[in-house]
Amino acid sequence: MEEAQYEVDLGNLMAFDQHHQFASPPVSREEIVKETTEQATKLVQAVADALFSLPSTEDPDGPLVKLPEPTTKLPREKPMKGKLPKPRPPTQWEVFAQQKGIQKRKKEKMAYDEQTGTWKRLHGYDRVNDDNDIPIIEAKATDEPGTDPFAERRKEKKSRVDKQEGNRLKNLKNAQKAGALPSHIQLAATALPITGTQSQPKRVSKDVLQNVAGMAATATASGGKFDKKLPGEKPLKHEKKYRKYLPAVEGSGMGTIEKQQTESVLNRLMSKHSHQILNVEKAVNMHNAKKEKNQRRQGGQSSNSGKFKANKKSFKKTSKKGPSSSKGKSK
Amino acid sequence: MRPLDENETVAVFNKLHKFVGNNLKNIVLESQAHEGPETNPGRYCFRMQKNRVYYVSESLVKRATNVKRDKLVSLGTQIGKFTKSGKFHLTVQCLNLLAANAKHKVWLKPTSETKFLYGHSLKKDGVGRITEGIQVNNGVVVFSMSDVPLGFGDAAKSTVDYRKMDPNGIVVHHHADIGEYLRMEDDL
Repeated sequence: MEEAQYEVDLGNLMAFDQHHQFASPPVSREEIVKETTEQATKLVQAVADALFSLPSTEDPDGPLVKLPEPTTKLPREKPMKGKLPKPRPPTQWEVFAQQKGIQKRKKEKMAYDEQTGTWKRLHGYDRVNDDNDIPIIEAKATDEPGTDPFAERRKEKKSRVDKQEGNRLKNLKNAQKAGALPSHIQLAATALPITGTQSQPKRVSKDVLQNVAGMAATATASGGKFDKKLPGEKPLKHEKKYRKYLPAVEGSGMGTIEKQQTESVLNRLMSKHSHQILNVEKAVNMHNAKKEKNQRRQGGQSSNSGKFKANKKSFKKTSKKGPSSSKGKSK
Repeated sequence: MRPLDENETVAVFNKLHKFVGNNLKNIVLESQAHEGPETNPGRYCFRMQKNRVYYVSESLVKRATNVKRDKLVSLGTQIGKFTKSGKFHLTVQCLNLLAANAKHKVWLKPTSETKFLYGHSLKKDGVGRITEGIQVNNGVVVFSMSDVPLGFGDAAKSTVDYRKMDPNGIVVHHHADIGEYLRMEDDL
């Protein structure tokens, strides 16, 4: 066993001794355990030494060390074959923004419109700074008479829109070169002028197709609920009612299921409170009072043996006097 | 209109049991409904319409199915309402049903009747008679001295403690009374 360098992979906090051999074939389990524990302590010591040799920062809990990247190649966690999304190259705007150091800012909900003097939304219906809202454009010194400034503005807007469309296609082209096109565009790539005439469009895989089919199916106003289904398409998961109630009337009044349900609930309730049916103390008192009355009538002959004392145990259905109840029956 | 499902039935029966105890059997199973064109008396059942629970005879239920669901306002006797969070409360309209089957009763002196009918809780010096064996939080039906049912509520003290209480203490927490027919006409 060489005492020399173990291979220490700090990224995985691992130490590996490639030259270890057992001096003699181990006889018993305890020998194996003993030998391996000894070796393991040496390896752990190597890891600890390496850890302490790293530059550390102070922390309230103790020195903190940043581990380097792992050097051992571990097998992939997820399968290959185009399922992992590839990183997309930055778009033209992203490159420019990075260069100039422009930060992304949160969009405001409303913006103040100078034209009408009200607060309006930024895009869409009734938006801020809409071109159609401008009633008067003042003429500048550079303007020639006879040119229509409104038409000019429209032309400029159109050229801006076209330029942006061109940029968008260029970005998609770059993404496709890197192999990182989003799936719905990849599918439509045969039609768009991205791929160029030379390369054949790749066969799209099943999961890409499934993705896109799902997106397309739910892209209607009601989320695809009322579209006509093609033959062979599976029906919707939910049938009409989400919760089934018993019918209001079955035959001439209650149905059997309803009767069963009420009876079972009633029985459960009754059995839960069955210990309260017999008020033991009251029954005992009544019994004793009756006994005393009889004794008095007979002139005090019998002894006290007939009297019962109230027992504090709970009786479930035992009853000393038939159907005695605690509901204040007068005797 | 629909029948109650199991959880709702449990809630309703539990609340009713607080007031009527074992007489619940009479209410649910054995009461005869002589109303209706059929000669054989039917039974009573519970139906729910818009979170209100009604105690209706079977023949009436059958005839009520002729009314459109959103036009049906009420049927039979309303006994209570389910709140938005699923709790069940008894309302004053079930007073007659409760009074006929009540286990624990309290009789009011004439002087404090009006106070109770305004919605205040019941104090000891307003109580004329009280049944034995009341425990705390039992359901109690309130009567006037002439045995007219006035309302119902929760017992704040047991009968034993009631005797030792000072005259200004609350005996019954008010839940519902017949004055609500005038005060809360719209809510009922």
